[in-house]
Amino acid sequence: MKDGFRQSMAALHTWTGLLFGWLLFAMFVTGTAAYFQEEISRWMRPELVATAPPAPATQAAIRWLQSTQPDAESWFITPPSARNPATEVFWQPRIVDGEPHARRRRGDTSATLDGDGRVVAVRETRGGFFLYRFHFDLHYMPVLWARYLVGIAAMFMLVAILSGIITHKKIFADFFMLRFGKGQRSWLDAHNVTAVFALPFYLMITYTGLVTLATLYMPWGITANYASPETFFADVFPDNAEVAHTGVAAPLAPVGPLMAVAAQRWGGAAIGSVQIANPGDRSATITLRQAANSAIGARGESLVFAGVTGRVIGSSASQGGAMATQSVMVGLHAGRYAGWGLRWLYFLSGIGGTIMVGSGLVLWTVKRRAKLPDPMRPHFGFRLVERLNIAAIAGLPAGIATYFLANRLLPTGMTERAEWEIHSLFLTWGAVLLWAIARPYRRAWVESLALTSALFAAVPVVNALTVPRDLLSGLMTGDWLFLAFDMAMLLLALGFGQAARKAATVTSKPRRRTRETREMAAA
Amino acid sequence: MARKRIASPQGFAARINLPLRVLGAIVGGYGVTSLAVACLARILPLRPAEASIAATLASFAIYAGIIVAIFSARSVLRVWLWLEAVALLLGGGLYWSILTGGRL
Repeated sequence: MKDGFRQSMAALHTWTGLLFGWLLFAMFVTGTAAYFQEEISRWMRPELVATAPPAPATQAAIRWLQSTQPDAESWFITPPSARNPATEVFWQPRIVDGEPHARRRRGDTSATLDGDGRVVAVRETRGGFFLYRFHFDLHYMPVLWARYLVGIAAMFMLVAILSGIITHKKIFADFFMLRFGKGQRSWLDAHNVTAVFALPFYLMITYTGLVTLATLYMPWGITANYASPETFFADVFPDNAEVAHTGVAAPLAPVGPLMAVAAQRWGGAAIGSVQIANPGDRSATITLRQAANSAIGARGESLVFAGVTGRVIGSSASQGGAMATQSVMVGLHAGRYAGWGLRWLYFLSGIGGTIMVGSGLVLWTVKRRAKLPDPMRPHFGFRLVERLNIAAIAGLPAGIATYFLANRLLPTGMTERAEWEIHSLFLTWGAVLLWAIARPYRRAWVESLALTSALFAAVPVVNALTVPRDLLSGLMTGDWLFLAFDMAMLLLALGFGQAARKAATVTSKPRRRTRETREMAAA
Repeated sequence: MARKRIASPQGFAARINLPLRVLGAIVGGYGVTSLAVACLARILPLRPAEASIAATLASFAIYAGIIVAIFSARSVLRVWLWLEAVALLLGGGLYWSILTGGRL
C-alpha cells in the first residue's frame, strides 16, 4: 500500500505539474524579475539621474501639485528613495456631481518630478512595474479572470510541491546527485536538485502568494462573520473613512517637520509615501506611511496629521496576531523589505524555481519519448507539449529581452509608446511559438534558444548606442545600476547560448530500456 | 497512465475513478475547505476580524491536505462518502452557529 500511495502521488505530481506548468513558468520568470522591478524601471527611464533628499523633494512636489492640481480630491506622493531617484506623484481628480466619468489615461493623473519639483521628461514606459503586474494580473484579459487563473495555478503548484516531496524518497542523497549527459536521468537530477535547493523557499513563496489574494480566493472566512466585505474593512481600518470637504480654504502646514516627527516615532525609518486628502481645504489630512524596507510586514505603520495645524490625529491601530501574520506573509512574498544581499538570494531562488518548473516540463516529454510506440511519429498531445515547452521556456525570455530593446528603440514621442513596448514582448513571444510549431522539433529548440541569447546580448549594445549610460562609462563613473544590468543581460545571453549549444549537440538516438530507465518510470 | 495506477477494478468503475477523484478534489475539496474556514472563523476565540483572517490563512493548507488525501485514498466511493459526511457535519455546525447568533 505504501508504494501505491507514492505512485498515486507521482501521478498527481506529473499531471498537476504539466497542466499549469507553462503558466507557472511565466509566473516564476516575471515574479523573479519583479524582485528588481525598481531597478528595471530605473534602467528603462535612463533620463532619471540625480537623487534628492526626501523632505525638500516632497515639499517641492506639494508646491507643484498646488499650482497644477489645486482642486484634486487627493494627492499621493512617493518621495525619492535609494531605489528610485525621482519623486512620483499622482492625484485623484474631484468627481463633480452630474459630470460624466471621463476616461483617463495614466499620464493624465500622474507625473515624475525631480528634487526641485520640476517635471522630468522621461520616456513613456511601464518599466519593471509591468513585469510585476503580469506576475499576477497577466495581460490582455480582465484582471479578475487572470487572478483566478493565477490562483488556481498556485494551488496546483502547492499540490505539486507536496506530492513531489512525498514521491521523492531520497531528498538528501539526491541533492548531491547531478549526472550530466545522461538524457532522462540528467533531467530528473536537474529537476530534483533545483527543487531541493530552495524547497523551503518554494513552499513559502507559493503559500504566501496564495495569501496575497486570499480574501479573493477564499472569502468565506469573512462572509462567516460579516455581512459584506465593506463592513469587514470598516471594522479593520476605521481610519480610512473619508473626511467631508468643507469648502473653506486653508493653507497646508509644511510637510518637512511632519516627516521628521514620523521618522522619530518610527525609530528613524524612512517615509514611504505621503497622501494628502482634501488639499487646500480646512478638512485636509496628511497621511505618512513607513517605507516598505523598514519592516517585513507589508502593512506598514502610518501616521495621520491634520493638514492645516499639523497635529497628529491618528495612527495605524496595533494589529492582532492573525492580521500581523498575514501582513508578514504578504511581506515575505513581495520581499520589499529585503536589502541587497537578501534581494539577490530571492532572485536566485526565483531562478532556481524557474529552472525547476522548466526542467519538470522537459522531463515530461523526455520520459515519454522513450516509451512512444513510434518515437519518430509521436501523437498529437505529445507534440503539443513539446512545442508549448519551447514557446514557454525560450519565448517569454525572448519577449522580455525585446521589451528592453523596444524601450531603447521606439521613438520617445510615439503615441501609446508604453503599450507598444508591451506589445513587442507578446509579438516576440507569439513569433517564437509559431517558429516552434513550424520547425523540426530539435532545430526549433536550438534556434529559439539561440535567438533568445542573441536578443539578450543585443541589449547592452543597443543601450550603449542609444543612451549615454553604458558599461564603459558605468565602469568609470560607478553607475552600478547600469553596470549590473548590462552584466545581467550578458549572463542571460551566455546562459541561453550555452543551452542552445547543448540542445544542438544532444544525440537523439533511441535508448534501450535499461534497468535504470525502468526504475525511473516508477519515480 | 494515472488511471492504471490508482485503481485496479475493471470497466466502467475504473473509467470513472479518475474523473470522480478530480471532481472530488477540486470541487468537493473547495466546498469542504470553505465550510471548514467559515466554521473556524466563527469558533476561534478571537475578535471576529482576527478569527476571519486566521481561518483564511489556514485555508490553503486545509485544501491541499484534502486534495492529497483524496488522491491517496483507496476507494473513490469512500472519498465521496467522507466528503459528504464532513460537509454535512461542518454545514450543520455552521448553520447552528449562525442560528444561535453570536457573531454576524
